[in-house]
Amino acid sequence: MEQSGGFFSFLVENLNQFLSFTGFANFTIGHGVMILVGLFFIYLAISKEFEPMLLVPIGFGIIVGNIPFSPGYQIGVYESGSVLNYLYFGVLNGIYPPLIFLGIGAMTDFSALISNPKLMLIGAAAQLGIFGAYILALVLGFSPQEAGAIGIIGGADGPTAIFLSSKLAPELLGAIAISAYSYMALVPVIQPPIMRLLTTRKERVIRMKPPRQVTKLEKILFPIVGILLTAFIVPSGLPLLGMLFFGNLLKESTVTKRLAETARGPLIDIVTILIGLTVGASTQATTFLTAKSLEIFIIGAISFIVATFGGVMFVKIINLFLKEGQKINPLIGNAGVSAVPDSARVSQVIGLEYDKTNHLLMHAMGPNVAGVIGSAVAAGILLSFLA
Amino acid sequence: MKKFIHGILAALLWMGAAVSSTAQSVYDLRINEVMLFNTENYIDSYGQRSSWIEIMNLGYNTVNIGGCYLTDDPTQPKKYLIPKGDPVTRIPQQQFLVFFANGKSHHGVLHLNFTLDSTHRFVALYSSDGRSLIDSVTVPLSLPNTSYCRIPDGTSTWQITSFTTPNATNNLFTHEETSGEKFVQFDPFGIMMTCIAMLVVFTALFILYRIFRFLGMMMQKPLRVGKRESRDVGKTQEVQVAELSGEILAAVSAALYLYETEQHDQESEIITIQRVSRHYSPWSSKLYSLTQQPNRVVTHRVHNKQ
Repeated sequence: MEQSGGFFSFLVENLNQFLSFTGFANFTIGHGVMILVGLFFIYLAISKEFEPMLLVPIGFGIIVGNIPFSPGYQIGVYESGSVLNYLYFGVLNGIYPPLIFLGIGAMTDFSALISNPKLMLIGAAAQLGIFGAYILALVLGFSPQEAGAIGIIGGADGPTAIFLSSKLAPELLGAIAISAYSYMALVPVIQPPIMRLLTTRKERVIRMKPPRQVTKLEKILFPIVGILLTAFIVPSGLPLLGMLFFGNLLKESTVTKRLAETARGPLIDIVTILIGLTVGASTQATTFLTAKSLEIFIIGAISFIVATFGGVMFVKIINLFLKEGQKINPLIGNAGVSAVPDSARVSQVIGLEYDKTNHLLMHAMGPNVAGVIGSAVAAGILLSFLA
Repeated sequence: MKKFIHGILAALLWMGAAVSSTAQSVYDLRINEVMLFNTENYIDSYGQRSSWIEIMNLGYNTVNIGGCYLTDDPTQPKKYLIPKGDPVTRIPQQQFLVFFANGKSHHGVLHLNFTLDSTHRFVALYSSDGRSLIDSVTVPLSLPNTSYCRIPDGTSTWQITSFTTPNATNNLFTHEETSGEKFVQFDPFGIMMTCIAMLVVFTALFILYRIFRFLGMMMQKPLRVGKRESRDVGKTQEVQVAELSGEILAAVSAALYLYETEQHDQESEIITIQRVSRHYSPWSSKLYSLTQQPNRVVTHRVHNKQ
């Protein structure tokens, strides 16, 4: 009898222990909110097809990261020795972003930019968003390093944002990465009203000359000249710029097809899965749901608006100096942010709304890829000034 | 010519190897702090006090000090050979290693075979060849339990301090502002940063623009010449073209229309009837990269049935 009583108390004790380990026992409102955010991301990706390659892994990562658990069993992304922690190492140490840039380089065709190189300057102008956000973050009381990391959201480049925040403000990495990717996905929603607001109907129907034919030699020279020039000016951007141009050389040389295909195929897919899942998982409610995160989201939205403003207004200004027939359609100014190819697609869609035969996609791809280079250079500058 | 190119390549490789072998190597080591008279200070693993020498690795890579020499006599650079093969001699990036100058080298790798005192105040670190001096210092006379150290770490500024920091940074008592903190003092709202950074981004992309504009013009020249030539040919053959049939003219017009309206990049591949010669290389060999297993016949049958 005594034995059965002992067994019963042993069973109850273990059952209680088991219950204390379950997610229900450790659940907080914050976990619930974050799980809903994760589900919303997955909804946006599947239903609206907003950046599904990013939002599905991130959304699911948010759910994974916010399953409540009892700490100390090497489960969470922030617990040393856990599997998620090992995978998160690549984010924290800035390993994944350059690998993604390698893939981007291997899949990007710079022909549109090479055929009309003045479009590069639009890519530079749109980086105004980065520094607008930097100023705003400083005014709101963030430290210079934090402000720099937050500012890069305005570059609309997820890997660059992760790379820079891992160096300057690792504690804000989750919020910055989520903010950057969210707004990148929302480019088709954020940019069109600003583009319409800043342009006249006449400007929106400007027809641009078709891009000229680009030779193979030019395509090969582009990554070589690009790396030599940009990395000599901003060596701190080397991990990103080096990988971007290396990937592009693999593609354009045409003698390393297998390497280029790996870089733009399996490699970038694997790294995207890892980066998306672990960045999502890093948004544990306990560390993520803070007033700072909310401020970062607000600054992020403003930075996208400023970047779009910078690109469109820059085109309008240079149009003042260009002859009739040489003018640039300001609807491609928004593409200076490096959300490739979403922002270029926005230019195309808005352009077609006003002239069914005016296809702006190829023209918009120029500033779009220049934006990738521009944001990597800007990240290098912030790193060298603030690190 | 081939020999010449091979020679240049070999020289470049050798230079690269030479530079990389010294770039992050024992030459990143510095004598960072020295204590002459230790009566109440740092103790060794035997619980004894003696003079000590702190070496710092300034580099961003682990450096093995094993095989180098420490000495108190410039005429005897090979006085104490730091043993190789002991993991303790590997100094991680920006870290320190303390040697005890107690004349008891039998106590272990970190115990030197000489002592420091008021007459022996010179310390030098030589590389493994025993000739190349890495760093040296002559310690001025000072009170017991004070050290002579570089502040900040690794710099050329030496001073005597009573806040000794063996095996740790000498910067503990100096708050070094980060470059971001310094920058924000002069630029609290980030306006200057914005101007500088935008200028740099514009400059980088503007130079790239100029280079590729120039390159584009150079590339277009042969095309223009080609077009001019073809225009001349067109004039001479004008009469013949007029005699072409309507169907041919329609086909030519359609081709021209497609050429004018559709945008083409120059394709990397060409269609040819000539035999394609390939240079053999195991890296590109299909045989070596063939990993796919042949499908079994049964599978095919099942598919066929479906």
